[in-house]
Amino acid sequence: MYDWLKGPGKAFRKPLGGSSNYLSAYDKFGNLHRSRVRRRDQRTDIDEGKGNDVEEDEESAAQRDMEDQSLTDDDRAIRAEQREMAREARKAENEETEERGGVPRERMSDMRPYPLNQQFRSQPVLSEALREQLYIQVSVEERDLLSVAASFGVDIRRVAAVVRLKTIEKQWEEEGKTLAKSYSDAVLSMLPTTPFKPDTKKAITPHEPINDLPVHPHTRQQIFYPASESRQFTREDAAKVFSAKLLPADQRIPLPMLVDLEKWKLGGLDRQQRQARQVQKDREAREEAAAKEAKRIEWEARTQRVVKGRRWDFQFQDISAEKVGRDGRGGEAVGYRYGMPHVDRKRGIVKIPTSVA
Amino acid sequence: MPRRFHGLKKPKVRQDWSRETLYNLSRLSTPGANYKTFFQQKWLAKSLARAYHNPYVREGQWTRMFDRRLPAVVSMNHQYLAKYDGSEMASGRGMGLDKEPRTTRGREDDEWGMAGGEGDRDRDPVQRSFDGRVEKTPYMHMTFYPLERRLDTAIWRALFASSVKQARQFVVHGWVRVNGKKMIYPGYQLNPGDLFSVDPERVMFATGARKKNRDSARSDQDDIEEGEGEGDEEGIRAAKGDQEQEIDELAGEEQGEDSDAGAATLEPDEEREAMTTKPEDEVDARKAMKNLVVRAKRILEDSKRTLSGKRQQELRAFAQAVKKTMSKYRPNEPEASDGVEDLEAALAEIMTRIPADDLPTQSTSAAQSATTTSAISSNSEQRDPDRIDNYNAQKDAALLSAALARARENPIDVSKPYATPWRPRQYMSAFAFIPRYLEVNQRVCSAVYLRHPVARPGLAEVPTPFAAETMGLAFNWYLRRR
Repeated sequence: MYDWLKGPGKAFRKPLGGSSNYLSAYDKFGNLHRSRVRRRDQRTDIDEGKGNDVEEDEESAAQRDMEDQSLTDDDRAIRAEQREMAREARKAENEETEERGGVPRERMSDMRPYPLNQQFRSQPVLSEALREQLYIQVSVEERDLLSVAASFGVDIRRVAAVVRLKTIEKQWEEEGKTLAKSYSDAVLSMLPTTPFKPDTKKAITPHEPINDLPVHPHTRQQIFYPASESRQFTREDAAKVFSAKLLPADQRIPLPMLVDLEKWKLGGLDRQQRQARQVQKDREAREEAAAKEAKRIEWEARTQRVVKGRRWDFQFQDISAEKVGRDGRGGEAVGYRYGMPHVDRKRGIVKIPTSVA
Repeated sequence: MPRRFHGLKKPKVRQDWSRETLYNLSRLSTPGANYKTFFQQKWLAKSLARAYHNPYVREGQWTRMFDRRLPAVVSMNHQYLAKYDGSEMASGRGMGLDKEPRTTRGREDDEWGMAGGEGDRDRDPVQRSFDGRVEKTPYMHMTFYPLERRLDTAIWRALFASSVKQARQFVVHGWVRVNGKKMIYPGYQLNPGDLFSVDPERVMFATGARKKNRDSARSDQDDIEEGEGEGDEEGIRAAKGDQEQEIDELAGEEQGEDSDAGAATLEPDEEREAMTTKPEDEVDARKAMKNLVVRAKRILEDSKRTLSGKRQQELRAFAQAVKKTMSKYRPNEPEASDGVEDLEAALAEIMTRIPADDLPTQSTSAAQSATTTSAISSNSEQRDPDRIDNYNAQKDAALLSAALARARENPIDVSKPYATPWRPRQYMSAFAFIPRYLEVNQRVCSAVYLRHPVARPGLAEVPTPFAAETMGLAFNWYLRRR
């Protein structure tokens, strides 16, 4: 073991500056796979004279194109554009490499901390800039979670969590508590991160797939269901076959509004019309929620009686004796407050709480 | 708990960041099925898997938690859902029309409104499923997903502890809160949306380099690293004088480290000079200041990358140098027991004396202030106080104060239970990843358990070191009828 730690294992003792440092990124002699690949690429580039297009300056390349009789003007323009793009890409890559201290960017295969497990890889986390931006979008500019999630390509629950955590962070700063900054910097430099570059052409990098459809247990079975050839058998019908109450995928995804927007777009509505329709739909949803709330309040006022006492108010409400829960001692059960003994000392009863409010 | 937890004869991969685990991980292989009955294969697979997946949970407890229904998701493409209602799947032989071979796919890509040159790998799984080519969902890797719900495992996965056992200890000792309430049960099953937080001091202790002994802030890690550095630079150092040796050592190691990382970036001569000369020996105030600024720049540049032990030492040396320089060029002030705070105050003073914007009207006031105390304005005394000089001085002072602020953020403190200035413990980077079902804020050492881990085509979210075969055998072991 000590031989290995002094030899190939030496690379893991310290983090690689600004890059992840997993086992699968190295060969068994402790050499970085990707640095070798890069060197080979450079060598072949030089051998074949490839990549000179990018290296040489714009003027000489344009000159060469002009001399080439087989090209039309359009071709020349396209080629110039391609050169420009390639140059920009090369420049961005070089800059990034420089930022990482000379180590090239990780490839997908370098991101596996467990070399045997092909199905697991370290996925990027949100960078500090992106977290800050999400917090600003939600709590300062007060955009709703759904649209922020859709525009930044981050899961809705993650956006909500980021806002929660950022709020705690701001609170700590206000109280003057010390944040674990050095720890945070060190950890984030070891992990792959999703960047947020506000002043570049491509500011937003999607973080994760946002429309994840959970595999419903009802859909795990294989069903032989004969249908006539002429029948338009859609996703909705298929869902009905699996289970009478199962909704189709279009409605079970977290952001069904994206499907609606896309449908309107395919239907030939222009941008403003789509926006107007979206606004109208949002308003309808809000009104519906408000009506529901009003109905609930009205129901409470009708059924819940409050009798003012001298020191306390007595509340009377309807109780169903059937609602006693799975084990007969549910929180809503009638006997819960009146002398129901605790069983937490009994054998086999687990005392660990199942939820913390 | 087995007596040989990190045994090397029968290697087991454990949930921790130790060098033994790293070594075992590097030589882990899928056990062969030769000369083994199916039962033996399953036994071996489950014993390997359970040695990793929280062996502190008793086997009976785990078998009660085991669930053969494993969660999965498929990510849907809203463009596809909007365009097709699903009936197109009924055409052909019942799985949609046969697709043309991949070489002639340009036309269909256009139909999708996508860029023609986009590679097949970058495309959405839904579109790939539409082509009839879909990656398998690795269900078997999700076998141990109920254990990922446990509080101790989640703390370790969020990189707040160096092993599950340590995470468990943190919980039992009351350093962990769930939704703001103290939780002392490591077996608490997190619910989606639960926020758990660990005391930051504990996290720094768990993930930081270990102290050598009670009374020193250094760690053994430093000694090892220094030993390596010395080996590399032996020849060079023999030629140097004794006095400069200390600072040279820092510079030399720096180079050694750079070449380690595969980044052969040589320092410019100017920086070398700045590193080797001691500022307090410098007669010229201007030159001393310049040297300091060069070092400050280097430190700040460095802060973008990771901060290794040697860099931290450099930072310390830098702070001392600043202190000495300051005391030398401000003789009318008493020699106080300066902390970094005093230095910062001094810098702030310098900053205020130099005009913020370089208007010619203000340069006269700068000339007046130049006669008073500060080192930088004494430079401007020699020449006419012109705009560029002021601007430079301003920038230098800003740089210095930024570097000092950084030094103050991570100070040396012997009273801490970890080596200071804080740096990650050795071998941490090989284990550092955060699965997607957690959202972590490292600054406040808190994390949210977003959802239960799921499998998706080609990717399982439960981190496990074993191959698909091993996990499949282990899953089979835990089925009721095996």
